[in-house]
Amino acid sequence: MFSIATLRREWLANPRADILAGIVVALALIPEAIGFSIIAGVDPRVGLYASFSIAVIISLVGGRPGMISAATAAIAVLVLPLIQQHGVDYLFAATILMGIVQVIAGFLRLNLLMQYVSRSVITGFVNALAILIFIAQLPELTGVPMLTYVLVAAGLGVIYLLPRLTKAVPSPLVAIVVLTVIVYYVGLDVRTVGDMGELPSSLPAFLIPNVPFTLETLQIILPYSLTMAAVGLLESMMTAQIVDDLTDTGSDKQREMKGQGIANFATGFLGGMGGCAMIGQSVINVKSGGSTRLSTFVAGMFLLFLIVVLGPLVAQIPMAALVAVMIMVSIGTFSWRSIKDIRHHPWQSSVVMIVTVVIVVWTHDLAQGVLAGVILSGLFFASKVKRLFTVDSSLSADGNTRTYKVGGQVFFASSDAFVAAFDFKEVLDTVIIDVSAAHFWDISAVGTLDKAILKFRRDGTKVEIIGLNEASATLVDRYAVHDKPGAEAQLGGH
Amino acid sequence: MEHVLACIDASVYSDSVCDLSAWAAHKLDIPIELLHVVQRHEAVSERHDLSGAIGLGAKSVLLEELTKLEEADSRLQVERGRALLAVATERLKAAGITRIDPLHRHGGIIETILEREEGARVVIIGKRGADHAFAADHIGSMVERVVRASTKPVLIASRHYNEPQSVVLAYDGSKHADHALERLRLSALFTGMPVHIVMAGSIDGKHRAMLDKAAARLDGSVAVTTTLQQGKPEKLISDVVAATPGALLVMGAYGHSPFRTLIVGSTTTAMIRTVHAPVLLVR
Repeated sequence: MFSIATLRREWLANPRADILAGIVVALALIPEAIGFSIIAGVDPRVGLYASFSIAVIISLVGGRPGMISAATAAIAVLVLPLIQQHGVDYLFAATILMGIVQVIAGFLRLNLLMQYVSRSVITGFVNALAILIFIAQLPELTGVPMLTYVLVAAGLGVIYLLPRLTKAVPSPLVAIVVLTVIVYYVGLDVRTVGDMGELPSSLPAFLIPNVPFTLETLQIILPYSLTMAAVGLLESMMTAQIVDDLTDTGSDKQREMKGQGIANFATGFLGGMGGCAMIGQSVINVKSGGSTRLSTFVAGMFLLFLIVVLGPLVAQIPMAALVAVMIMVSIGTFSWRSIKDIRHHPWQSSVVMIVTVVIVVWTHDLAQGVLAGVILSGLFFASKVKRLFTVDSSLSADGNTRTYKVGGQVFFASSDAFVAAFDFKEVLDTVIIDVSAAHFWDISAVGTLDKAILKFRRDGTKVEIIGLNEASATLVDRYAVHDKPGAEAQLGGH
Repeated sequence: MEHVLACIDASVYSDSVCDLSAWAAHKLDIPIELLHVVQRHEAVSERHDLSGAIGLGAKSVLLEELTKLEEADSRLQVERGRALLAVATERLKAAGITRIDPLHRHGGIIETILEREEGARVVIIGKRGADHAFAADHIGSMVERVVRASTKPVLIASRHYNEPQSVVLAYDGSKHADHALERLRLSALFTGMPVHIVMAGSIDGKHRAMLDKAAARLDGSVAVTTTLQQGKPEKLISDVVAATPGALLVMGAYGHSPFRTLIVGSTTTAMIRTVHAPVLLVR
């Protein structure tokens, strides 16, 4: 696994660009880590430690160089009830268990399940994530003095207009610094990060979560851990795909899953919340020139340096500045193109996308939205494929034999159409069912064929089946009842 | 069917690689696969945008921009590669080779060579790549990496081609050297060529015996001379090679791990660097 060649390719391909990108990402991680901690209802410390720990560990053990992982909104929105009901130590325990679940998922190669997540579901996931990040900012934007809106607008103005002047400094950082300085010196009375909870002043230390090690605890945290693990892996796999596309390089998805697990496992012991890959930050990383493990590593280490050294200053940052940055991340994450595409794409794709978004925003659980999207796209697919089914029939010259030619895909969704294609009322001596151009996919299809044959035989019609191709034949042999002992007289051709 | 894998790029060594490949293909009576790898110019690290701001459709805008940056350059590289392959094919045809299989691939140089060497009898590369500004007595980093990673014999072309007339075998009595000797004895590449076995070390009975044993293994089918002399191996061998017209140096490749080499340096690398003749490295 480790060799000079991989060291060169995955760490040292372009150190200068990677280090600069890592620093930019670290600066962009601060507001998010704090913001997501607030979403989850914990001290900013928890999110900051998590972001440091996850980024550094994933840079060593992850499977997708250049991807940024840290504390994320997707996980944060899940854990709020757990913290409200049981306290923050249960969050640490759930994070550790989440890591274990993810490592197991990695060994089970569950990344292969991503094949069944269609593009529409992914778009829906991304859009829902952007909406969740935005919704999470609403408490900071409702029932606050007018001044807050002015500050947020000013922050957004700096973020989007500054890059037109210079691209040498991260504009979100400039926005934060400028707003903080103004608020501090003018003495404006607005909420600051310091009001939101305790900031770290030291290095994270190893801790064992203060929870009773009982079955009851497990029952409390397991549902959360499973959902956190699922959501974390989903977002990580999607982000890995995005980074793959942007850099046009490959990644080891299975290793990434295990890496996410290891990172979360360790982070739980450092007093951090669970995390996963971040779409917005990873795009920022690539945009800033980062493409190797080095940039992720630098991002994590520089973040730790910033929070330990600049902790007291961070407390002075007005919440309005963070909200502006989070709105930027939300806008950057949302797939605006998908709105335009709704008109051109098949309606089923749009429905899948919208249903995914609606369910996520409704339940605040990305896993449920994705599950709904996957099920729905499966149903739509089945309904499309069932149209690939035709039956033609022809009567013999003497009028006693009818040949049905069945073609296409026969499975659960098309079995009704299969039965409806036969005319059981017609008086015949022999019916020939030619299935040489058909595929029997499942036991529903086989059962339907059985049903049709038995129905004909009850009317005294002899049934012959020809051309069961190899795939269908195995299914029929294995499951059908019509030629097994107990079924009436034998069948023609069998 | 086995073939000679000739790897060319835009460096001055490509002509020599072609001539050497033609010689090897004639001797072995097998076709040539002529490989040129198009290396993409990486745009990701070249953008100087540290603004860290992402706006509407950040992902697709970035993807489009990166594609645009890389597209033009890649197209140019592909054109250049085609021209290189055409010139090389002509050169091989002129040398009387009829079975030529030009191969143009995208990807990393090392990865592609390793991928293609599967069916190759011997891999032939230039001593330095196109990216290397010419500095006398240097060896390209790619060359060293190919030699380390490859499982096939690698023939490194020098800048000027002289048809190989005789073989100089660098011998130190090690397992690698014995293996090189064995290949030398069996390969059709060297049939009938006189062999000069050179050993650097104190002139004593032990070394003399090793050398005689090695000479005996070539069992008199070819003319064998031996030299045992005190001194640095790279100096001694490059002197012998320089004194032998049409010499081709054969030796076992890299006995030590990359880590050890990092500290103590490598005789193999030093030898490739100093010798102005084709070098065949045997694994």
